[in-house]
Amino acid sequence: MKKTRLIDCNLFRLLCFVIIPLAVLVIFALKPKSYVTGIIITMGIYIVLCASQNLINGFSGMFSMGHAAFMAIGAYISAFFTLSTNVKQSMTPGLPQWLINTQIPFGFALIIGGLAAAIVAVIIGFPVCRTKGHYLSVVTLALVVVVKAVIDNQSDLTNGSRGIAGVPAKSNIVTVYICVVITLFVMYRLLRSAYGRGLIAMRDDPVAAQTLGINLVTKKISCFAISAFFAGVGGGLWGHYLTTISSSNFYFMKSFDIVEISIIGGMFSMSGAIVGSALFTILPEFLAPLEGGLRLGGIKLPTMFGLSNIIMAVILILLIIFRRQGLMGTNEVVLDTWFSKETYLSLFKPEEYRKLANVFRKKEKTD
Amino acid sequence: MTTSFILGMLMSGLKLGSIYAIVAIGYSIVYGILRLINFAHGDIMTVGVYMILVLMNKAGVPLFASVILSMGFSVVVGLLIERLAYRPIRDASEEATLISSLAVSSLLQNILQMVFSAQREPFILPTFLTESHKYGIISLSLINIITFIVTAIFLVTLYFVLTKTKIGIAMRACSENMKASRLMGVSINKVVMFSFAIGSALAVIAGLLLAGEYKTVYPTLGFVPGLKAFCAAVIGGIGSLGGAVAGAFIIGVAEMLFAGLAPTSMTAYRDAFVFLLMVIVLLFRPNGIFGSTEGERS
Amino acid sequence: MKKFTKTVAAVLTGAMCLGLAACGSADASGAAASGTSSGNASAAASGDVIKVGAIFNVTGDQSSLDTPSQQGFELAVKQINEAGGINGRQVEATYYDGQTDTAVCASNAKKLIDNDGVLAIAGFSDSDFAYAAGAVAQEAGVPIVFSGATTPDIPDVVGNYSFMTAFGDNTCAHAAAEFLYNDLGAKTAYVLTDKSMSYTTNLSDFFMERFEELGGKVVLQDYFSSGDYDYSAQIARYQQQGGADAMFMATGPDDASTVIEQYRSAGIETPMISGDGWDTDIWSVAGDLANDNIYCCTHYSADSDSQAVKDFVASYTEEYGNAPENAFAALGFDAANVIFAAIEACGDDITTDNIRDNLENLKDLECVTGTISYSAESHVPDKTIVVTQAKDGALTFVKNV
Repeated sequence: MKKTRLIDCNLFRLLCFVIIPLAVLVIFALKPKSYVTGIIITMGIYIVLCASQNLINGFSGMFSMGHAAFMAIGAYISAFFTLSTNVKQSMTPGLPQWLINTQIPFGFALIIGGLAAAIVAVIIGFPVCRTKGHYLSVVTLALVVVVKAVIDNQSDLTNGSRGIAGVPAKSNIVTVYICVVITLFVMYRLLRSAYGRGLIAMRDDPVAAQTLGINLVTKKISCFAISAFFAGVGGGLWGHYLTTISSSNFYFMKSFDIVEISIIGGMFSMSGAIVGSALFTILPEFLAPLEGGLRLGGIKLPTMFGLSNIIMAVILILLIIFRRQGLMGTNEVVLDTWFSKETYLSLFKPEEYRKLANVFRKKEKTD
Repeated sequence: MTTSFILGMLMSGLKLGSIYAIVAIGYSIVYGILRLINFAHGDIMTVGVYMILVLMNKAGVPLFASVILSMGFSVVVGLLIERLAYRPIRDASEEATLISSLAVSSLLQNILQMVFSAQREPFILPTFLTESHKYGIISLSLINIITFIVTAIFLVTLYFVLTKTKIGIAMRACSENMKASRLMGVSINKVVMFSFAIGSALAVIAGLLLAGEYKTVYPTLGFVPGLKAFCAAVIGGIGSLGGAVAGAFIIGVAEMLFAGLAPTSMTAYRDAFVFLLMVIVLLFRPNGIFGSTEGERS
Repeated sequence: MKKFTKTVAAVLTGAMCLGLAACGSADASGAAASGTSSGNASAAASGDVIKVGAIFNVTGDQSSLDTPSQQGFELAVKQINEAGGINGRQVEATYYDGQTDTAVCASNAKKLIDNDGVLAIAGFSDSDFAYAAGAVAQEAGVPIVFSGATTPDIPDVVGNYSFMTAFGDNTCAHAAAEFLYNDLGAKTAYVLTDKSMSYTTNLSDFFMERFEELGGKVVLQDYFSSGDYDYSAQIARYQQQGGADAMFMATGPDDASTVIEQYRSAGIETPMISGDGWDTDIWSVAGDLANDNIYCCTHYSADSDSQAVKDFVASYTEEYGNAPENAFAALGFDAANVIFAAIEACGDDITTDNIRDNLENLKDLECVTGTISYSAESHVPDKTIVVTQAKDGALTFVKNV
């Protein structure tokens, strides 16, 4: 009998991926002002963003660099619906009057923001579908540039480069992680459905996919739109966390950051989004003392700002060369744990406990 | 709009275009052979310019020698990048190389930022090079003239290299069909290294001219011109050197005309305009204006 | 490899969560504090030390403004500690680098409040970062004093725990308009604005408002985006327009020298004026061209007669080996002293709320950049603007407006 691995035990998975994280989340949900909470929230937002990036990069083969643009759209539009009338009156007087006077609950605002991003995605779907590979990426980069230019110049609507401050701080651990779970759930089900399989088919061999009756154009555009939707939601969450949004937050580097996370974590796995985001938000924290110039055994190291960026870039290159599927590969261990009934039921099944015990038993048992 | 205004804009556009052209040639060479968008190309340009700055200001090396030394340095950097970051994934999918080049670009920018600061440093060339002379309505400086001449020289030289020398022919062969070339005994590694070397050296010259014209350097100096050069190469037809140069001039002039003629509120849209132009061209002529019209974009 | 990855993933996710939790609940240890400050006393018991924090963008685009600001701040900390501290207590300052990134600034503000337990925060020369960190400070009830941010509505947007050391852009731009109209006799003006920065767009709006109020006429407005290094289109348009009596150039510090160089090289002799964004090294690219009719409205002038300025310039030069790079150094210095004054007024009862109240009641504090007072209605000091002219590589005093 094959020796049971720890990771295969549902109980262990339950512990590792459900119970511990939940405990951490609950602890910090109770300490909303804590600095660590901020990091956790940021991580959650990146998970949403990265999941949508994975959808489009890894699973559909369309390498989009345009996430910053969709984030921007989502952030601004959702803010339009949650900002107080006073702020809108002074900062964005060009908005239609009914909009200035409206405030709606955060959840709805996020959805509308996401939808706006999705609509833009559909609009630029045409050039997106006609291009492949590198050209697609550059077209999406062009989108980022255009969106920033529009934001900066339409100051009646967006307060231009001044950005909008005073966005209500609605992103807390609860709201963000609810979004995280919903996003990942949707992705999970999507990818395991016929739609998802068609997507992967299209990525691996478009011609064969066509022979199977898959309409490439609708698939591409719809996938792009879905990814844009969640990117918009992520942008909305971001805006309501920082409480200030401006076009400079949403430029090349942001897109690149998300792509970086996506690849390091693993483009082909949603669990990779989680791992990548965790690494991206936590690494700079550990490196912060080093960046500021640490005293190491009497020698003062020079300040090395940007060190975490450099390290991330190097990790990226190494991974691209040696392990293209990223840290997680095609492994969906985290999501599998979250969304399957057996994980939760395993608490009640004695054979699971026995399985767990087996793992620790000495290796004498070969049968 | 008076004719002198438009002519002035045209002239500025040509000046801008010539700088883009040099960068575009470098891009085009590498892309033609490797099908690799080297985002780091613009950053090699920046590295080269910083090197010149350091050599001139800190080590007091005269201009000409600094340029040569810096070109050598950038060639080394370019070759290193090729060896470490691109060669291992040469046979991989397009996305892998794209990502890798982005990562290298980010790496270079951050290293430059760490070593120097993110602030703009002045880059002053001797005045005899940069002062403008007026010829009627057109004002040119020596640097501008040099830029034009240099572009022309490069174009001609490269044309010669590509058609008459062994390595040049090998490069064209690789560009058309790498596998077949390999079978014919062409050393792919040598060809790639050679093209990277040319590209990097060209990038440094372009950087020198760019920095000399606008007199500042900063770590992200090369990134946007690099992208615009890519747009130029795309518009003109990837893999075609003449096309890249033509595309660069088209972009330069278009950008200037747009900046000059569009209502002032739109002036800040100029970068977006360049990109949009590229997207539109891509839609209708996926292989560029001077590329072939048949076949899918390879 | 598969087993490896799975275990890695599991361990990583779990460990990071736990690690964060442990990290967060620990007190400010070496992992949290960074910074290169001079003259910080080491903490004995927390009651004997006054903790303040400062966030400056020493890397990234803002570093030309914030690095001198931080140095000014550090100088102030050193001076006050050498003088015996505030009411006998030493000041301990923690510094973080905002990296010209709003998210990092906000997160650093949280760090200062949560991890380091500071009583007041200072920092920033630009409103974007002020908003981000300010929101955090306001929420936590910690007073925050912005050294260089000049957008006049910052305290209104952020809240009553925020204060500004610098004058508002409105005052500055109005002064520029008045100087041009009254002193240079300019009846027409050309305005060039950087559309990608909030600072510059505000400045232009205020300028045009005042200039037209005075009776002047803005003959042409033009725009660009920070980072556009080519101004030939704008120059050509200006020349075609026929020129104006004066030019108001709303650009940030990075573009200043390039703009001057290109316009002057094209033969345009018109006087130019700008706000405190031009209090920087405008000679770097433009060289001698920048000594030709260039004015800047800023916070102070290094050659001013005021004793406070003289002392500041002397001690800064002694500490750092060069004269203050720009007015932002003085602003950082003043921000520190503003905080110290408020803390001193607290006596022994030092709480964040008391500090805030004392800040609000601060009156007529003599600072390097002028006299600073606040009131319940206004957390923006009403200072005089110093108009300076570029001469021989330095900004020299012209007049106060």
